[in-house]
Amino acid sequence: MTTNTARDATAADGTRQMTEARGTSVVLQNLSRFFGATKALDGLSIDMAPGELVALLGPSGCGKTTALRIVAGFEIADTGSVLIDSKDISSVPAAKRDMGMVFQSYSLFPNMSALDNVAFGLRMRKVGAGDRRKRAGELLDLVGLAPQAKQYPHQLSGGQQQRVALARALAIEPRVLLLDEPLSALDAKVRLQLREQIRTLQQRLGTTTLFVTHDQEEALSMADRVGVMNKGKLEQIAAPDELYDHPATAFVAEFVGVMNRIPAELQGGGMVTALDSTVPVRGEAPDESTSAVDVLVRPEGLTMAVIENGNGIVTTRTFLGSVTRVAVLLSGDVTVQVDKASSEAGALAPGTSVSVTLPSEPVLIAPRS
Amino acid sequence: MAAVADTQIVKAPRRAARQGAPRAGTAWRWVVLLIAAVFFLLPLIVALRFAGIKAFGSVVSEPGFTSSLGLSVRLAVVTTVITIVLMLPTTVYVHLRLPGIRRLMEGITILPIVIPPVVLIVGVLQIAPGSLKGTPYLLGLEYVVLAMPFAYRAIDAGLRSLDLKTVTEASNSLGAGWVSTMLRVILPNLRTALLSAIVLTVALVLGEYTMASLALYQTFPVWIYVNSQTSGQVSVAASLLALFVTWIFLMGITVLGTRQSRRTGGGSVTLFTVARQETRGN
Repeated sequence: MTTNTARDATAADGTRQMTEARGTSVVLQNLSRFFGATKALDGLSIDMAPGELVALLGPSGCGKTTALRIVAGFEIADTGSVLIDSKDISSVPAAKRDMGMVFQSYSLFPNMSALDNVAFGLRMRKVGAGDRRKRAGELLDLVGLAPQAKQYPHQLSGGQQQRVALARALAIEPRVLLLDEPLSALDAKVRLQLREQIRTLQQRLGTTTLFVTHDQEEALSMADRVGVMNKGKLEQIAAPDELYDHPATAFVAEFVGVMNRIPAELQGGGMVTALDSTVPVRGEAPDESTSAVDVLVRPEGLTMAVIENGNGIVTTRTFLGSVTRVAVLLSGDVTVQVDKASSEAGALAPGTSVSVTLPSEPVLIAPRS
Repeated sequence: MAAVADTQIVKAPRRAARQGAPRAGTAWRWVVLLIAAVFFLLPLIVALRFAGIKAFGSVVSEPGFTSSLGLSVRLAVVTTVITIVLMLPTTVYVHLRLPGIRRLMEGITILPIVIPPVVLIVGVLQIAPGSLKGTPYLLGLEYVVLAMPFAYRAIDAGLRSLDLKTVTEASNSLGAGWVSTMLRVILPNLRTALLSAIVLTVALVLGEYTMASLALYQTFPVWIYVNSQTSGQVSVAASLLALFVTWIFLMGITVLGTRQSRRTGGGSVTLFTVARQETRGN
């Protein structure tokens, strides 16, 4: 869809964080993968700068895991190639790719202690026993698990196991770190801690990292750039703030963050009318024949004022800290969410008549669903 | 087979008791245990009284004792080695690459239990090449077939509790090729399952009578039967001795396997080794 324009725009913005030159560049070139008649991956292209953390975000079945597995060497792409430091590695077996991978399910070797797990990759690289113990120890220390070095996986909690798995993946000083939903099996608190730990470590080591997740919060908080995927295609890849503020497609807009859909009428000349105001359409306006459209606006994009006989009635109020999210029922049985500073939300009791207005800047539209 | 039944059934109630349900069940468990104990131990005690202690001494010097026991032990070793060498890679391969045919495998491997041994041995004697017919190791090959259901299920259960795919991929991504992955990652984690497979195979070979007697080889069970025609006491003493030797042997393997796997969080060596699953998914 708009993949290329979005990518070019990002590159031009320079939003891509060029950390240090010590990392490895990774290029996915037009990757496609079919499972029978299903297109799991459809022409995926991503350029990753050295040291960059790119998150692939999308609903299950969108192809993000397939992409990661192709990079790891566990799947073979039907078309396209993977370039590491400009070299095509498509024919290199997984064992020779020098990629550290952390899996969604616990993947530690049950017959080895935490230390031996971390040292395993070094052992395969014929590092001497003394050296590999020392380095494995350092890595366990890095993830805060030095005291658990002698414990076996079944004696560790889920979060600890994933930290050992991370240390194990990093021990081989991988050219690329691949994270396949490593936090999804953990409980919320551990997930938050580990998220920060992974990001800090990744930045410190400058390892180029591809991170697959279905959790948008995770993707937005950790990644330099987030690629949103849908049905095997990359919809948009951009820095988190860019993705949130300027979603390239309706799918991205609704998948990332909370989005209101307000019925609107398309006018000529790239204008659209909704909530009694006419505003410009952002991006390509669809042709005139598509008449039934919705305007997409975030809760913080709408403005609201208490007024007699306004266009909406407050139904509920949810306190979220500094802001309060107010649900407003508009005519035509449409409910929208509007964010208001909590200090100003006192007057917005359920039943209050309000007027909701669109922002004046260009808005995103989508065919009515 | 008597030896297998013995170890397994005595073990089961002990395990259940440890996991502990409230008092009401406990009394019942003891009743069941007692009945089972009487059922299994009474014949042994009676046999022991019938044979008398002296008979044990003469068993060893009885003609044919050493050679038949030797043959059974050799067959047990050959059968076990062939079974493991065949079944382990096959089962691993099916799990990794052809998970779709697991059901089919289960069906195929159950066949030797469904088909009577008499049918199997008569069929094999018809088609076996002459060179094989002259050696007792034909029997070993037969036993491989007989052991397949047990060996497959034991290994299958072990693999299922391992998350083979993830562990194999993790090992691959860390730079281990197929050989290293098999030797350093898969095999050590299947220790319990393999011990189960070995225990079951050995017990099967040491107790098999039908095939051996039809193929006219004097394995230990055949010798015991033949001997019972001439000297009842000695043959009962021999069976008891066989039972105890087998039992001690199996207990040895079990204790060994359990000690190892307790360290790494696996279960004890039981019939189908599913216990391991309980300790993993936290």
